[in-house]
Amino acid sequence: MYRTVVNRILLSGGGRRLLRQPDLRTVISSSRFSTTTETQTIPNRPLNPPDSSSLSSSSTSFQTPPAAGDVPRHERKNPRAEYEGEQARVLQASLRHVLRLGWSEKAMIAGAKEVGISPSIVGSFPRKEAALVEFFMDDCLQRLIDRIDSGEELQNSTPSQCIYKLVRIRLEMQAPYISKWPQALSIQAHPLNVSTSFKQRAMLVDEIWHAAGDETSDLDWYVKRTVLGGIYSTTEIYMLTDSSPGSFPLPSRA
Amino acid sequence: MALRLVTRNLRNRISPKLCSASLLHSHATSFGFKEVREEEKSQMVGKVFSNVASNYDLMNDFMSAGLHRLWKDRLVSELSPFPGMKHLDVAGGTGDVAFRILEIVNSIRRRALQDPINDDLQEETRIYVCDINQNMLNIGKNRAIERGLGEAKSLVWVQGDAEALSFEDNSMDGYTIAFGIRNVTHIEKVLTEAYRVLKRGGRFLCLELSHVEIPVFKELYDIYSFSVIPRLGEVVAGDRESYQYLVESIRRFPPQEKFASMIADAGFQKVKYENLVGGVVAIHSGIKI
Repeated sequence: MYRTVVNRILLSGGGRRLLRQPDLRTVISSSRFSTTTETQTIPNRPLNPPDSSSLSSSSTSFQTPPAAGDVPRHERKNPRAEYEGEQARVLQASLRHVLRLGWSEKAMIAGAKEVGISPSIVGSFPRKEAALVEFFMDDCLQRLIDRIDSGEELQNSTPSQCIYKLVRIRLEMQAPYISKWPQALSIQAHPLNVSTSFKQRAMLVDEIWHAAGDETSDLDWYVKRTVLGGIYSTTEIYMLTDSSPGSFPLPSRA
Repeated sequence: MALRLVTRNLRNRISPKLCSASLLHSHATSFGFKEVREEEKSQMVGKVFSNVASNYDLMNDFMSAGLHRLWKDRLVSELSPFPGMKHLDVAGGTGDVAFRILEIVNSIRRRALQDPINDDLQEETRIYVCDINQNMLNIGKNRAIERGLGEAKSLVWVQGDAEALSFEDNSMDGYTIAFGIRNVTHIEKVLTEAYRVLKRGGRFLCLELSHVEIPVFKELYDIYSFSVIPRLGEVVAGDRESYQYLVESIRRFPPQEKFASMIADAGFQKVKYENLVGGVVAIHSGIKI
């Protein structure tokens, strides 16, 4: 939502996005918890590593998370990014356990063990299960944006076809977790988590409209997004109980 | 009791090295408001706790009107224990925090579905209670027996110094120190040791009496501390001096922000603190990455 507002201000006429953040995922993961009052209080100190040749900490606070745990020892990344990176790794690994263990602390503990970090770190995630669900939602949004950018299927579609395709793509990303999706929805509906999940859905809906080429700048802007939000949510809920041929496995009643 | 999460940005603080070094040195040589030699402090603190050990829990209840139980509950819920964890509770003599952790771990196991993996993990849970004072440990062991945990493999009572722990590097999932860090001689050494024994992803949690800044409440709290508590100590435990030391040592301990920056200096990340009861007690936490 923020990006498209900024784009609207700075662009003149064209529909292309110029102000793409290099990796929306880290932006989102850094700003994701902005509804809570908890922020990093103390700037992290560089340690005295035995073999440090350069203690350069990079100036940007948004970094791509380190890949698969191989951080070169002579390189000092921004320590805040380290924690965020580790958090992202743990959550990514936890997603693989969700089908078995649900959107729960147990899945996150299993994920932490998988990446070799003590499961205590799970205790530091704000609103634990919500952290996992929100990470997944951000992840799906990022994948949707990537699909939009690679753009082949959206070339020659009318806006409504475009919206149809994008909503379908997005919902299909949830399909592997459909058996546990009701739990995720209930976590998102929890009063503590409602504001963040609402923001995420608003961003999602805005992305879809923007990809469909929407350029309204009056009250219709809100109307369109609200309507699409409603459509998306009802489709999502219907998906939970859809038992027609070729659809996803039903959620278990366990 | 109002629980408020208070965060401040330390970037704007100016704390020249000299100032911090002298503050730390002053902690090492302060015994309450008295000045003592560094080597003596540890002994004097040891005497205090040997004296108070038998009435420790009772006095805690009196002084905090039972609130200390809630504070420890809060500490342990912040920790989020899990079955199979290796936890170290330092200065945990009488076992309050350790018992709570064990209870949570057991209740997770009871709640879990028939999951054979978890049952094995439950066996692996180890909570080490470390204290420098043998009297406090003995009280703790007796309490464990009273609760039926006398034979529990998960509770291990170890005598040791927080500044020089006998545990291996990267061996603990969690480290807590409740109302203990105020009494050590060298705070930075304790923090460094904590960093050393924690695994990657391990959490450091410290529950400690701290500084109150709220205007009127601060005055009331001071009156309560300096007039009521030593008197209470005299009447209930027959030991005014020890409780005088207690309230003085609270005032000499670094304030929340300063202590948080010390924790960050030791290498912990995501350092934050939470004030309980307006700052009477603070829970500081950090993660080793």
